[in-house]
Amino acid sequence: MRRVALAERPDWRAKAADCGFGFHTIDDAPYWDESAYYAFTLREIEQDIEAPTEELHAMAMDMVERVVGSEQHMQQLAIPEPHRDWIAQSWRERQPHLYGRMDFAYDGTGPAKLYELNYDTPTSLFEAAFFQWQWLEDQLARNQLPAGSDQFNSIQESLVEAFSVIARRIARPFHFSAVRDSTEDQGTIAYLRDCAQQAGIECGTLAIEDIGISEDGRFTDLDDQVIGCLFKLYPLEDMFREAFGQHLPRSGIQLIEPPWKAVLSNKGILPLLWDAHRGHPNLLPAEFDNGGELPRGWVRKPLHSREGANIVMHLADGQQVHTEGPYDGACIRQTCQPLTSFDGNYPLIGSWVVGDRACGIGIREDQSPVTQDSARFVPHAIVEQARSVLIA
Amino acid sequence: MKRSRTAALLLMSTAPLLLTACDSNKSREGLYTSVEACVAQTNDSNTCGQAFAKAEQEAVTSGPRFDNRQACEADWGEEKCTERKDSSNHSFFGPLMTGFFLSQMMRNGNAVSGFNSAPAFRDSRGGWQRPATGGASGGVYRGTAGTGMVPINATPNRAVTSSRSGFGKSSSSRGFGS
Repeated sequence: MRRVALAERPDWRAKAADCGFGFHTIDDAPYWDESAYYAFTLREIEQDIEAPTEELHAMAMDMVERVVGSEQHMQQLAIPEPHRDWIAQSWRERQPHLYGRMDFAYDGTGPAKLYELNYDTPTSLFEAAFFQWQWLEDQLARNQLPAGSDQFNSIQESLVEAFSVIARRIARPFHFSAVRDSTEDQGTIAYLRDCAQQAGIECGTLAIEDIGISEDGRFTDLDDQVIGCLFKLYPLEDMFREAFGQHLPRSGIQLIEPPWKAVLSNKGILPLLWDAHRGHPNLLPAEFDNGGELPRGWVRKPLHSREGANIVMHLADGQQVHTEGPYDGACIRQTCQPLTSFDGNYPLIGSWVVGDRACGIGIREDQSPVTQDSARFVPHAIVEQARSVLIA
Repeated sequence: MKRSRTAALLLMSTAPLLLTACDSNKSREGLYTSVEACVAQTNDSNTCGQAFAKAEQEAVTSGPRFDNRQACEADWGEEKCTERKDSSNHSFFGPLMTGFFLSQMMRNGNAVSGFNSAPAFRDSRGGWQRPATGGASGGVYRGTAGTGMVPINATPNRAVTSSRSGFGKSSSSRGFGS
């Protein structure tokens, strides 16, 4: 794994405009950054990222079965009591899921270490699945990358395939929904809707704020049609506690991601996985936080923090790093696995799972060891080293 | 190759699209709670009767199965389950068929011969479901995606909205993806 400087495509901004990638620059700060890329070997991708992702995904899915059958685990994950049966039922029915992203600390030397699962509202999808892919094709065509370079990224193909597999299990009308004023989230649902339409699924979009409730407790769109299935790029745990949340279990609405994802988008899954698979090379030791002093070498994360918010790191050298944010409530602890610096940048590997398949990565790097929403997305390529090319 | 063979966009792209829509052969789908309701809608008592009989059979062969009544009632509601026997005379519990689903291909406003039917069950949350037919698993999924029951979307569902904005209060301008 190397970080390689490379000249930008001169026309990438125009290309971004062409495909509706409106959030390549956020609040005047660059988000899409192709002034460099990360080069991996095929072995690094397949053995160190793809295989562990599939294995961890299977372990996580097994853990859902255990958690929904245990009041104690539901309690540990702070899943609200009124929603527990509904969540468990959604798992028993195996209500279809679409995607998730695992975040790994990895630098090409040891095993990738799982930071967390983003299994409910993962983003950075469009840039990983589409714009990164286009970057590789363009740079190959411009001879800016070694011939035969590839990319671990069949994300779009997998999304379209996933939608076509679950098409018949998606209730209609089917709407994609996100916060109205979030450019980034709106971009993500526009892309997912595009993939669904490529799979032949009729669907619309709806701002999360526009969802209505009828007197008999069903959710409606702006035409007063009862929503069959809602893809919501909005955290399940927030839906649970907001005004309409109490109506969810009896409303008959189908959600994607389904309610059982509340178990996996919860950092409490990390200590449970560690307990069940102690010593697994891709897991970091983790435990539920007892509120006591955080020892050196540990990180504290709220069960529901996103975008690296509200994290406390007590580094091995005694230095403490805090990030701001809106989250509170119960926490977990995880041993601190600092990201490796590549020329002062700290890359975090987002490994995508679509359906149950590991199908690609996207890398976000930040100038601080905690990846936050100031991170930049940097593309990657699979580049075989000269020696293996000769052997081949 | 570890990347998508191709990646195109339909709606997001500003490039011209080629989209073909197929409107000439529509299908008519209905969810009926009785043969009479079906006839009233379709004027086809023969097909409605056959669809009902076929659905009743399929309720036994493809409907949900439980070892005991309690487990069945947990999913399908109190007193909504009945004891059944399979072809080898083993007994099990399953939900009562509360309706049936009929779909026919239409040509020029007339039903083409042949139909699809399925039993429909009303779950404890009030939703209608029918058994999934084969072929919906595989691909990127490890086999669980297509098993079990699927929702029925045949009923045109309208409801008067009494309020909105019950979701989204935790929102920030940056959104919620992670």
